[in-house]
This record gives sequence, structure tokens and C-alpha cells, in this order.
Amino acid sequence: MKTIRFVLNGKETSIEVEDNETLLYALRERLGITSVKEGCGIGECGTCTVLVDDEPHYSCLTLASKANGRDIKTVEYLSSSGVLHPLQEAFIRSGAVQCGYCTPGMLLSAYSLLLRNADPDAHDIKEAISGNLCRCTGYIQIEEAIKNAAEICKCHSQD
Amino acid sequence: MLPKFASVIARTKDEALSWLSSLENPKIIAGGTDLMVKMRAGKHYSHVIDVAGIPELLTMTEKDGRISIGPAMTHARLSAEASIVRSARSLALACGLVGSPQIRNMGTIGGNLGNASPAADSIPPLLIHDAVLTLESRDASRKVPLEEAIVAPYVTSIDGKELIGSIEISPLRGYREGYRRVAKRATWAISRLGVAFAIREEDGRFTDARLAIGSCTPMPFRAKKVEVLLKGAPKNEATISEAIRMALEEMKLISGIRPSYAYKLPVLQGILEEVLRG
Repeated sequence: MKTIRFVLNGKETSIEVEDNETLLYALRERLGITSVKEGCGIGECGTCTVLVDDEPHYSCLTLASKANGRDIKTVEYLSSSGVLHPLQEAFIRSGAVQCGYCTPGMLLSAYSLLLRNADPDAHDIKEAISGNLCRCTGYIQIEEAIKNAAEICKCHSQD
Repeated sequence: MLPKFASVIARTKDEALSWLSSLENPKIIAGGTDLMVKMRAGKHYSHVIDVAGIPELLTMTEKDGRISIGPAMTHARLSAEASIVRSARSLALACGLVGSPQIRNMGTIGGNLGNASPAADSIPPLLIHDAVLTLESRDASRKVPLEEAIVAPYVTSIDGKELIGSIEISPLRGYREGYRRVAKRATWAISRLGVAFAIREEDGRFTDARLAIGSCTPMPFRAKKVEVLLKGAPKNEATISEAIRMALEEMKLISGIRPSYAYKLPVLQGILEEVLRG
């Protein structure tokens, strides 16, 4: 076992993990964050996506020990103030959530995009979510939601 | 769950090399995008040494006309690195096409080489830039051209006690350079065919042409016979069709006729025509 310390959704966190444990396992089983899901377990679906220092990573392919000293965000971060993030509101409005299994990962990839690029075009959005599969194939609604959220976030930042 | 192993995080290259030489059945991990999948499928190592955070393996330097790339640099970083975009455009493009954004944020160029897949996107560009690997162990260091480092699909001549210390390439300036690939879908797909090219022309002649082809032969290969033919040759349809004929012949010589060639040969021909005509 090893002790790892990291910032999880803005809070200093310290846990004991096994050497051969994935970050996905640690988040779900030790910290109870079940929004991070195991789909394929081999980096081919994206539902385990978390942000590591604000970049999307697959937590199923990440050793838990790699989180030490890093900033880890899961979808809970987006509404940690108690209010839904504009991206989440936009997903609801556009009907971008069907079964919901891909949604936490989609939201994180979208959030990371908006951090890097406040004014993404259609190609940027497709590229940003290209590592997240939606088996309900609701990509059009997801892309639309991200576009709308980007516009709302831009308005906010100009206030 | 993964098979049991002990893991250590190396803070310096020396620490990693010392562990590599002393620990039993060790394996280097960087991004983990290939290794974690293999371990999940049952591949067992006693010790896993994480080198992803070693500063010496994360830096890029330019010296004596060569660029030295830190092997723990991620695909995402290389695809955006100004000097790579400027002097090794095919590499920047290829790194930008690997897997998905998540894979590019995690996976490293050293890992891509160590894994030595016939379809590794970074390898054809590295071949046209005359890549040389510095392989280090606790007691020695040697330089090996990339072409000699990969000996069979997924097999390298890198010893179990060695670490890729750096990847040196020659920058190419004044070339028309790029990377073209064909995959089953636009993104998050393994290349079925990849062509790295860098071409310099003057007064209607090819003065230098470099071509490397991936995913068609057991190891990506640099079409050196074709390059010799093109050097100094007039840029016309006769030269181009002879060059393509030679490239396809060379491929068949290396691999024999493979079932996939019914598709790949005509596609490669089309890509090479576009690339050489420019």
C-alpha cells in the first residue's frame, strides 16, 4: 500500500492505494465517486474520463499512484458550488443526456475544451469529445449543448 | 483487476536505471496506454517503474543541428511543440492523430517506440528524420538508429535493463513535409496505412525525397531505394510512376502478398501519387 495525496475536486485528499490499483478503482471504491465509470476498461470508451491537471485522461489506464501531487477533477467539480455548470444546464436543455452513461466523461472533456478554447468551432468540439463514446449516439445534441454552453460562458466572462 | 505487482515512481533517470538493474522482472511505465491494457489481459511483471515524471525525460533540446526529444513527452505535447511543428511537421501531425485526446494526453513517444507496433503513427515520421535512440542502462549507454531498434512486430532490441534516454532527430527545413494516414474512421482508430514524407524540389527536379510507410509491413519501413531513384530525377509522371512501382515492389518483397494488399496497394499508390505530385 502507498499513501497518495492529491487535490480532488478542489479538496486536499489523502488515501491508501495498492500498487496495482487504477485511479478509476480508487475513485469509485475508496472515495465513493461513482460518476467515474468502467465501460471497456481498456481506453476505448471514455466513460472513465477524469481531468488530470485539467486535461482529460482515462482513469482506467492510470495507476492510482500517478495521481499523487496532481489536481484531479470529476464531474462533481462542475456543480461543487451547488449550482449546475452552464455545460450541465445546456446538456439538459439540448436533450444531450439519454442513458447517461457517457455523460460525466463527455462533460469533463467539454469542460477541458472550454478552459483551453472559449470559442470552439464545430470541429474543435468534435475533436474534444472524440475520445468519449456515446452508445445512444446522441452526438448532435451533445455538440449543440457544448456550443450553447460556450456562448453562455463567453457572455458570463464579459460581465 | 490487474495482476499483482509492486510499483515505484522514479524521480530521476539515475534512480530509474538503478531500479531497472536491481529489481526482479521490471517494466517501465510512462503513459500506460499500451502497458495497462496488456497487464489487464494478464501480462505479469514483478515491478513497474513509473518514469513519466522524470524531468530529464521530459525536455527537448536542440544541439549541433539535431533535436533531442525527451521520451516521456506526450503525443499531445509533441503535436503542439513549436520546433517540432516547424522542423518535423510529419511527426507533429502523426502525434496529433494517435488515439484520442485522452490517449494523446497520456501516451508518450518513448512508449510508442517501446511498444513497436507496426501501426505506430510516430515511427514513419521518426524514420524520415533519421531518428537515433540513446539507450541507457546503469553501467552503459549506446546509440542505436531507430531502424535497428525495432526488430519484429512489437519486438525491439532494447534490453530489459535499458531505458530510452532520448530520441534524436534531424530537423528538416525547406521541405514539403507531412503525414497521411488511412484508418477505419476519422479518429480514435489504428492506422491501416500511414505515409510520412518530406520532399525538396528545385528547378523541376526532386533534390531530396524521404518516404516512410507504416502499417503495411511487419515494421514501418523507409523506402530508401525509391529515395535514391528520386534524388536528382526530373519531377514528371515517368519518374513518379517508376518510384511508386518500386515502393510497391519493395513492400511485396518485405512482406510477401498479404490478403490486405488487395486494398492497401491501390490506396498506397493513390497516396504516393498525391504526395509526389504535390
